[in-house]
Amino acid sequence: MSTNKPMPAPTEISAPFWAGLKEQRLTLPQCQACGHWIFYPRRHCDRCYSHDLKWQDVSGSGTLYSFTVARIPTLPDFADEAPQKLAVVELDEGVRINTTLIGLEEGEIKIGMRLKPVFDTVNREGDTLLRFTGIDKDVAPRRFDAPQAVEQVEEQAPRRQIRVDDAEALHALVSDEFTAWSNQIVVDQALIDEFARLSGDDYWIHTDPERARKQGPFGGTIAHGALVQVLMSRLKVPFEHEIVGFTNMVNYGSDRLRFPSPVPAGSRIHSRGRVKAVEIGKRGTQLTLELNIHVVGSERPAVINDLVVLYM
Amino acid sequence: MGLKGNAAIVGAAQYKPEKYATAPRMFHLEQVADLAARALADAGLQASDLDGLVINGPQFHEASVFVPAMAAEYLGMKLNFAEVVDLGGCTSVAMVWRAAAAIELGLCQAVLCVLPARMAPFGPDEDPSWMARAMRFGGHSTAFGAPEAEFDLPYGHMGQNTGYAMIAQRYAAQYGYDAAAMAKIAVDQRFNAQFNPEAMFYGQPLTVEQVLASKMVADPLHVLEIVMPVAGGAALIVASKEVAARARNRGAVVTGFGEHLEFKSPSYADDMTRTPVGPASDRAFAMAGLKPADMHAAQIYDCYTITTLLTLEDAGFAPKGEGMRFVRENDLTWRGNFPMNTHGGQLSFGQAGSAGGMSQVIEAFHQIAGRAGDRQLARCDNVYVSGTGGVMSEQGALILQGA
Repeated sequence: MSTNKPMPAPTEISAPFWAGLKEQRLTLPQCQACGHWIFYPRRHCDRCYSHDLKWQDVSGSGTLYSFTVARIPTLPDFADEAPQKLAVVELDEGVRINTTLIGLEEGEIKIGMRLKPVFDTVNREGDTLLRFTGIDKDVAPRRFDAPQAVEQVEEQAPRRQIRVDDAEALHALVSDEFTAWSNQIVVDQALIDEFARLSGDDYWIHTDPERARKQGPFGGTIAHGALVQVLMSRLKVPFEHEIVGFTNMVNYGSDRLRFPSPVPAGSRIHSRGRVKAVEIGKRGTQLTLELNIHVVGSERPAVINDLVVLYM
Repeated sequence: MGLKGNAAIVGAAQYKPEKYATAPRMFHLEQVADLAARALADAGLQASDLDGLVINGPQFHEASVFVPAMAAEYLGMKLNFAEVVDLGGCTSVAMVWRAAAAIELGLCQAVLCVLPARMAPFGPDEDPSWMARAMRFGGHSTAFGAPEAEFDLPYGHMGQNTGYAMIAQRYAAQYGYDAAAMAKIAVDQRFNAQFNPEAMFYGQPLTVEQVLASKMVADPLHVLEIVMPVAGGAALIVASKEVAARARNRGAVVTGFGEHLEFKSPSYADDMTRTPVGPASDRAFAMAGLKPADMHAAQIYDCYTITTLLTLEDAGFAPKGEGMRFVRENDLTWRGNFPMNTHGGQLSFGQAGSAGGMSQVIEAFHQIAGRAGDRQLARCDNVYVSGTGGVMSEQGALILQGA
């Protein structure tokens, strides 16, 4: 998960609510004068204005009042949740809560369905958000003791071998269609810091989370474009072909290299590619691959690289 | 209660909507002066006639406080009435009735209502990334203690798209949904824009199929059902009967208005599908002594197709739950039986910030004054105008009638 996501800053007024979530409880103020339940927490009743309120635990059961599936992340940092299942839940006590649904497939979501709370601990510090799932679903809690699991690409069937001098077969590889996605890796602050040391590019937008949160345009640090570009080597793009019959293969550079969108610290990235052009000349066979790296869930690439590979 | 019909819109000016990247950069004060001069020329009035100012407080580039005084000084105005309005897309409608009310109370005789919405030049030390920072959370506050910062943003609830989408989904669950009818709203308005050379999408007709094939942004809203933000700006002049008599246009008299708001996030509405424009419109019609059926045109705030649909129902043009049938069965173009958003609506004209809503007021004025060019309605004496700010959170309505 991107570490740049906005997090709640509890106030004196709301502190019991957030503390309750950390203890896997949902607690809300209730008006002692008129019985009205109050969300979000206030010091007064928003029906009768009495200030005689009492915090009470509730079950958290409710129904889905409305929802949408956001096909474009509402903020780049939410790309890891894409498509976001944003929802309004009406608790049995009558209050409505803006939240997200988890552990439900799109087709399972119906307005009016019964829901139960998920106390979703989102970081090592124990900060907990209130999400909801189906009444009959179980959502496993996140774990922070082990490194984030990385999705592996299944071991591929043997790839189709194409000889480096087979002009017809090589030209047939050129396509507008991209491959499936590669494996995923996490670009965390530690990796960004390492790259800053290595490259000497220690601009604060990459290395100073505090300043980047306050002054930066992205609400936190972002990875160097150059870092994301070189991480390509760790992303295995599942091309269906394999070039054989050459003695030497060199990276000849890039025809086009763009960084159209940022990679916030903590994002997962993956890649896909296509063969854009094939040229067979005296020096050897030249393949131009369009290799695009995306933050997982984001339609807009973070890196577009038209990489030229020369087979000799 | 209400207005006696002694104040009218007599002049207007509006920048042609442009993409932000290529639009001229002007200080907001400079835009205010420029728009004021153009609106005065349009009205055939003098600078000395103006003695009232209604201006935006939020998003004013050169000041965040004392905006009217700074603008009065910059323009050289002597004001008997000064007001800022902070009602998002409802601001224009709200400006007009405030100006009319001030005139009828005898505070002033001619009021400039103005909304600069081109970007200002960057200062030498100004960090261009402030725009990106400001845009990051849409209209959501990130201030410590702001309920939306604490209870919405951490879940990804931000900007406008998803709020409107959730209203549409709730509507669909309660009343059913016809995606083609929703697309027809955008298509009929695009037809109108083909008769408005000022519109962003002039020369680009649209079909229902194109709308339905466009990208889904947040279910059920396609990208072509969502307004395009543009650079622009607009002004209009509201004047007393006496001043209006000297103006060169037929005035659009403000005979009714209403305003209603209860929440910022529609999640807290009693019923998401019954919007504040209902009570606002009821009041406006009652004040004018007219009914929806008496209107010759409706200029309905259209940041999204769903906004227009719900306004058609809640203002009383269509029964609740039958808005989509109404859209299917009526021709909403300027040539049709229910002329709506005859300038193309903001969906096809472009939305220049809170000045976007002024395009609807100005179109109503132009139709009443007989100055709507190729899209002029044969008869246009009574026009309904609505304004919507936030996520259907701040809404207002005006009834304008030909003098």
